[in-house]
Amino acid sequence: MKIFDIAFKDLIRSTRSLFLIGMAFAAPLLLTALIYFAFGSIASGDMSMADIKVGVVNADVLPANSPLDVSLGENIRSMFFDDSVRSWITASDYADEAAAHGAVDAQEIGVAVIIPATFTKDYLAGKTDTSITILQDPTLTIGPTVVRDMVASLLDGVAGGGITIKVVSERMTVNGKTLEPAGIPSLIQRYINWYTDFQRALFHSLENAALVVTSPAPGGELSNDIQAMMGLVMAGQLIFFSFYTGAYAMMSILQESEEGTLERMFTTPTDRTTILAGKFLAVFITVILQGAVLLIAGHYLFKINWGEPGSLALSLLGQMFASVGLAVLLVSFIKTSKQAGPVFGGGLTMLGMLSGLFTANMNIDIFNTMGNFTPQGWVLKAWRLSLAGQPVSELIVPFVVLFAMGIVMFVIGARMFGKRFA
Amino acid sequence: MSKAIEVNNLKKSFGELQAVQGVSFSAEAGEVLSLLGPNGAGKSTTISMLSGLLTPSEGDASIMGHSISREPLLAKAALGVVPQDIALYPDLSARENLDFWGKMYGLRGGALKIRVDEVLEIIGLSDRQKDKVSTFSGGMKRRVNIGAALLHKPKVIIMDEPTVGIDPQSRRHILENVKQLNAQGMTVLYTTHYMEEAAELSNHIAIMDMGKVIAYGTHDELIRMVGEQTRIEVTLNMEAEKVLSSWRSTEGVSKIDSLDGKVTALVDDSNRVLPRLFEAASKHGVRITSVDIQEPNLETVFLHLTGRALRD
Ligand SMILES: Nc1ncnc2c1ncn2[C@@H]1O[C@H](COP(=O)(O)OP(=O)(O)O)[C@@H](O)[C@H]1O
Ligand SMILES: [Mg+2]
Repeated sequence: MKIFDIAFKDLIRSTRSLFLIGMAFAAPLLLTALIYFAFGSIASGDMSMADIKVGVVNADVLPANSPLDVSLGENIRSMFFDDSVRSWITASDYADEAAAHGAVDAQEIGVAVIIPATFTKDYLAGKTDTSITILQDPTLTIGPTVVRDMVASLLDGVAGGGITIKVVSERMTVNGKTLEPAGIPSLIQRYINWYTDFQRALFHSLENAALVVTSPAPGGELSNDIQAMMGLVMAGQLIFFSFYTGAYAMMSILQESEEGTLERMFTTPTDRTTILAGKFLAVFITVILQGAVLLIAGHYLFKINWGEPGSLALSLLGQMFASVGLAVLLVSFIKTSKQAGPVFGGGLTMLGMLSGLFTANMNIDIFNTMGNFTPQGWVLKAWRLSLAGQPVSELIVPFVVLFAMGIVMFVIGARMFGKRFA
Repeated sequence: MSKAIEVNNLKKSFGELQAVQGVSFSAEAGEVLSLLGPNGAGKSTTISMLSGLLTPSEGDASIMGHSISREPLLAKAALGVVPQDIALYPDLSARENLDFWGKMYGLRGGALKIRVDEVLEIIGLSDRQKDKVSTFSGGMKRRVNIGAALLHKPKVIIMDEPTVGIDPQSRRHILENVKQLNAQGMTVLYTTHYMEEAAELSNHIAIMDMGKVIAYGTHDELIRMVGEQTRIEVTLNMEAEKVLSSWRSTEGVSKIDSLDGKVTALVDDSNRVLPRLFEAASKHGVRITSVDIQEPNLETVFLHLTGRALRD
């Protein structure tokens, strides 16, 4: 009885946490909705984007003794000329801004990207006032948005590269090694190459580029292809936020320990096992409720067919076991609730990315391989099968794997809690 | 019938540190027993063992005859614990908090509802019961904090320094609360490092220092035990050696010192001795221009026993 009292109390508290509600329900639905509307506008075809005409003025020169092989401007320029975007972008070079401006005015091109001469130099020096100018035909909306976001996305990646270098060097210092200055340029270059390739993979089709762009636009009837893809997109969101929600809900045990209410519970005539079980039960219920609500919302809002009832149930249950197991394990490693942000944000986002959750609709090989080793990867496998209309029998293996992973993580985590609070 | 609280040679070590080194005391049903001692004396550690938060390294204790190690659930059921820091759910209302803690003590349904109403009445928050605890003032939170320990009508209540860091008015309120609960028959174990509180509330006081009970008794017993006397300081309007020698031979005076026109007398009972001092002074034509009486208190007792002040 007290198990349910404790779980019920936790659930009531969760409903009063705006953050939890936002993360568990609002965020996955909103993100899916953005993608849905982006596709909606493409699919409805009233805004032809089959051919975006881009003019590029690349004045950027590689500064002397730069760590890079190629200027950033050239990286950006080549993105528009790449084979992978040829089907929907036609790019041409212009000598200077005036020429590009004239072409936009004459509606020869829809958008012009103008990269200044000192761009690489300024960017590497961390100057914030350096900028790329984008000129656009005022009658167009989506085309220029896509182009702008492609540029922004690439630059974010480069900024990310800086962070990567910092993280790598910190890690190495922790491990007692130092990052040779000579090694940095090759690290940066490797990172930029990887990131550019990653972006190209994303921009391979217009749909994928729009996925990154997520520009809201009025929706229309979706083609079957896009509808199937929506299922995978939403599955990715569902899984990511399920793990996040589980971990966050489990945090309440640390919060209670910090607020003194956990100790107070220990002074009441209640077994410690009962208390821990009540806390765990609340997380189980939260995750399963969240899953159910999102599945139903996805079905009605985005017309997603999640699969046969049995397959769907096994996927959801597997997701629940894995989320709760990982939540218990993660939280058992954390000492204070202040550490939760970085651990969840970093750890779960990384695991999610490696498992291909954010690229669920793209079936990228490397992520499929990595996914074999992560709980998230197996949940994604389960949903892929269920979404493809596979019968229950096909879901048994992923379910058993998830169940086993969940139990193992749960037992290890629960024992650590037992030790800590005994 | 056994005692309400019985503590037998309790010990607790944290690694090398022996926080509690063999503590024994007991409380009769219906009394207030204070654990008085400076910070770090081991009061909270002792209480944590009594309330089942910490497992003793050695020794045992019982609440209403139930051993905390062999019958922990029965012992806990007879016990209400008011933690030093507020331990409530800020995002739940006062009523929801009390409901939950009542359930943790096994109350349900109609009985729970009635008791929550009663406790809300006792702590004077019936009209704010639906408001979240996070919207309460410090004093109101403290009252809910105490209320949560009263739901199951415990025979014994333990309060760990409930007045630390609060304003004098709230402190007064809490001390009155303790007296009321005790008047209704509850046995109270009260820890504090304020000797005035121990003096005001307790039937018995156990003085703790460095993990041990170094003295136990009623307030008066403790003071007599260390043989401390009342200290009277007087100033005279003139140097008068004759007065001093007359005072030295007065009954009830054990010592007279004089320094810079200030005379210090150690006496048994100031009520009896002081008139005689005045009498002797007037006989010699000397006026007493100021009098300061310092009765021995628990502070003096602690100083006497340890050579240190109770408060740092
Ligand atoms: N969990 C713990 N781990 C290590 N040392 C502790 C722990 N709890 C208390 N202590 C130490 O035990 C001694 C007694 O502490 P405590 O019982 O809190 O004293 P009091 O309540 O009388 O101020 C102190 O020296 C304190 O630092
Ligand atoms: Mg203490």
